[in-house]
Amino acid sequence: MDFKEFELIYKDNRCEIKDKQKIESKLKEIVGENNISTNDVDILAYSKDSTLIGMNWTIQGKIAGLPDFITWPETVEQISEILKLANKEKIPIIPFGEGSGVVGGAIAIYGGIIIDMKKFNKILKINDKNLTVTAQTGINGMNLERILNSKGYTTGHIPQSLYISSLGGWIAHRAAGQFSTKYGKIEDIVLGMEVVLPQGEIINFKTIARASTGPQLDKLFIGGEGTLGIVTKATLKIWPYPAKRTLISYVFPSIEDSFEAIRQILREQIYPAVVRIYDQFETMRHFPDIDKAKDKVMVVFICEGNSKLVDLEESITREKSEKNSGVDCGEHPVEHWLESRFRITETSSMPPYKIVFDTIEVASLWENASDIYHSVLKSMKQLQGVIMITAHVSHFYPNGVGIYFSFGGVPTKEQSDLEFYQKCWNTVVKAVLDAGGSIAHHHGIGINRAHWMESEWGTSMNTLKEIKKLLDPNDILNPGKVYVDTWKGGEK
Amino acid sequence: MGVEETLKKYSWILPLIQKADRATRAVIMKNFRQKKTNFFPEGEFNADVENLINCMLCPNMCRFDCGTLVASQNESMSPAYKARIGYYLTMGIIDPADSANKEFINLMYKCTNEENCKIWCPFDFSVVSLLETVRDDLNDEGLMPDYCKQQISKLNKTNTIEDYNIFETYKEKGIENIESDGNDDVFYYIGCQSMKFPEVVKANIEILKKAGIKFSTNLDKKVCCGGPAFNIREMETAKKFARKNKELIESTGAKIIISDCPGCILTLTERYEKAGIKIEKEIVHIVQYFRKLIDEGKLRFEKSIPEEFRKITIHDPCLIARNLKDTESIRMILNKIPDLEIIEPMYNKEYVHCCGWSGTAHWADKDLAIREAQNRINELKETGANIFISACPLCELGLAYGIDETEKEKYNILDISELLIKAL
Ligand SMILES: Cc1cc2nc3c(=O)[nH]c(=O)nc-3n(C[C@H](O)[C@H](O)[C@H](O)COP(=O)(O)OP(=O)(O)OC[C@H]3O[C@@H](n4cnc5c(N)ncnc54)[C@H](O)[C@@H]3O)c2cc1C
Ligand code: SF4
Repeated sequence: MDFKEFELIYKDNRCEIKDKQKIESKLKEIVGENNISTNDVDILAYSKDSTLIGMNWTIQGKIAGLPDFITWPETVEQISEILKLANKEKIPIIPFGEGSGVVGGAIAIYGGIIIDMKKFNKILKINDKNLTVTAQTGINGMNLERILNSKGYTTGHIPQSLYISSLGGWIAHRAAGQFSTKYGKIEDIVLGMEVVLPQGEIINFKTIARASTGPQLDKLFIGGEGTLGIVTKATLKIWPYPAKRTLISYVFPSIEDSFEAIRQILREQIYPAVVRIYDQFETMRHFPDIDKAKDKVMVVFICEGNSKLVDLEESITREKSEKNSGVDCGEHPVEHWLESRFRITETSSMPPYKIVFDTIEVASLWENASDIYHSVLKSMKQLQGVIMITAHVSHFYPNGVGIYFSFGGVPTKEQSDLEFYQKCWNTVVKAVLDAGGSIAHHHGIGINRAHWMESEWGTSMNTLKEIKKLLDPNDILNPGKVYVDTWKGGEK
Repeated sequence: MGVEETLKKYSWILPLIQKADRATRAVIMKNFRQKKTNFFPEGEFNADVENLINCMLCPNMCRFDCGTLVASQNESMSPAYKARIGYYLTMGIIDPADSANKEFINLMYKCTNEENCKIWCPFDFSVVSLLETVRDDLNDEGLMPDYCKQQISKLNKTNTIEDYNIFETYKEKGIENIESDGNDDVFYYIGCQSMKFPEVVKANIEILKKAGIKFSTNLDKKVCCGGPAFNIREMETAKKFARKNKELIESTGAKIIISDCPGCILTLTERYEKAGIKIEKEIVHIVQYFRKLIDEGKLRFEKSIPEEFRKITIHDPCLIARNLKDTESIRMILNKIPDLEIIEPMYNKEYVHCCGWSGTAHWADKDLAIREAQNRINELKETGANIFISACPLCELGLAYGIDETEKEKYNILDISELLIKAL
């Protein structure tokens, strides 16, 4: 099949592979006959990630990117050899975890070789004394977590995509879990790593609780998005499974009241594992049955851990909520969230109606949080075709928050869905930058936000580009992501 | 999700649409009206397009527990991708009639029917039930894969899915045939795959006799339940077998039908009924029946069994655990046996992982099914037990493929009856 039946979205500047058979046989030598494919059925399977506009393309018979080879290496040496071959032949390499990324990170936009990490799926060691787990990075999140749970531990990293994402993908995108206000984000959880650099060199970062050994180079690869190296192994913090869990919910008159309550809670160094604010729209959407919540802002909290500590956290959470006009709503809204948090149906329900739907998560200090929220809502409402723009806030720090916007709408007659999608993204991102926020909280940059990186980073972007050039002089590792202006025609 | 639940879930969106400007509202209304024209095939089709769409656009929420995906570590085996290909074949975006696209058709059969997906699916789908609707269209278009045609041909020639009628081998295997006098209490419905395990069948017969049950086996008249034809969705053959079995079963006069094969039970009950051929009898798995006999005091397993059989783990057949929703009968019976050490595997009961040998996957891709069996064996080995107990001939076949030749001496896969007989 030459895939002519499918409209290809990313079709420009594809790498030219003159002798495909030669490359195929070299790859076979490296990974073995069974660990490489050029079969149509496999190539098509790796033509997308979970970028939501991709769902509209899927139903329309369009494909995002078309890789040339799929490989499933089983050893770090094989990965190293593939990278050396790719450098020699100047072929792009795209690391692939579970394909749940939502910014196009794992899409082979110029073609090339997919390195699927799924066969790196073993837990290598659990160390109870150090409270660490060492695992290969292709391991699926849920499979890691349920094995840890069966032995009495948790990583505390529970993204909504737990079932559909890999450890390597979390590290690549600097992911954040739903329980992150207590357990931290992935960069707080990773203690050590093994990485294959773009030219094939294998490097190791020692597992250590903390060290003062010069700059923390390892941090470069947390958020590297598969452009600076392929992470093959990682050691993570783990925790004994919490002894107690308390479910609390409050409704507030406004988002500002909820912000203020939570800011005051964190100021006391109280860290509920889960804190989620739903703005008025999302409260209506998720809690239509709760009378007290009508036209209000719902906040759910979960405090967990040592029972004495949990009791203290509960009492301070309640005190600060009530001080800021919060009204107790009991356990039910939290139970509802716990039951429904993995029951995702939105991605399926919108594309048949050609509705373009997506989520954009951004970051801010406390002082800008409310401004960002309102200015995004305001600018999106002015955009023709937008029918919904809502937000929830689910990641908190003593110093600021991560705000998660959801939008939906339909392109006007003159626009393609991609053009409308880009316009929505650009509107949100611009409003965030203008209000002093940061363009991404935990989904990463990928294709979608690459053209905003200069605005986000300012002149420091030059340094980042230099580092990329130094590590990957041939630009073979995940090209078209993070550093370059990938969107064609999208206005800033 | 039911209609009411769906309406409730999306009721929040209506006021937002009402608030939109006229041009936007017009586009939305048009999109709603044209959903079928835009995204459904023309003409007649069997495929469940609505739900194939729902599944293919899902971010694959059940992927981590899909046996074929875990066994292959290949995206193409992911449930949402299978649905996507089903949709493209239905829409003709991938031409099913083009022989170059055979692998896409094969994908529609690379499912083990284990239904782990259903546990995690927000829509409560089991992927196989979606794929079966695509198979219906492929069959109508004459595109049934050869490995399926072979099974159908065997069924029609030998009444089983072997090259010969496996029920006829009972004498040489030393299995006693008990003819019905039309007045039985119980009919022991022996699965054709169970005939590959004569010790299991003999043990079951002996246990039933010890309990004083009046039962028959009618091996001279026995035929396959037709399960394979239901999997392939060759409904003419499937219905033919349903009618034959209904007649045979009803002729025994038995009130209760028991089988050693959970696949037969699914076929004799749900599948026959859906095909419009209902057998008005109580049809249960033999472990469920043994449990009843124990409760009634008719069976006692009190003898100590040899030491080498005492450290066991349980492989729940997925059809008993997830379809019959009974994970207690096996455990209740085993708990009656003295001196047994039962170590549960991590994935057990309704969360059990498949042996690889159910559905059509082992015909479409035997290596894939073997890898799935190997994965399951590794999970069972992790318990430290050397005896793996199941209650399904297909599980016992599949698991056997999963054990390395060098370890065949060390581990023993047994049907529960083979253990029970030692304690009787
Ligand atoms: C329904 C849904 C809910 C989500 N919820 C959350 C959430 O709660 N929190 C959150 O943070 N994110 C969330 N995401 C986003 C997504 O799950 C994360 O970005 C996740 O970290 C991606 O992991 P993956 O294994 O699927 O990576 P992929 O999509 O396969 O790849 C993502 C990027 O990582 C690179 N990569 C993959 N593996 C490696 C490796 N070993 N070494 C180097 N680079 C690699 C790829 O090249 C690509 O650039 C959600 C997504 C969906 C669809
Ligand atoms: S079966 Fe359900 S959970 Fe699995 S991919 Fe399909 S819709 Fe998603």
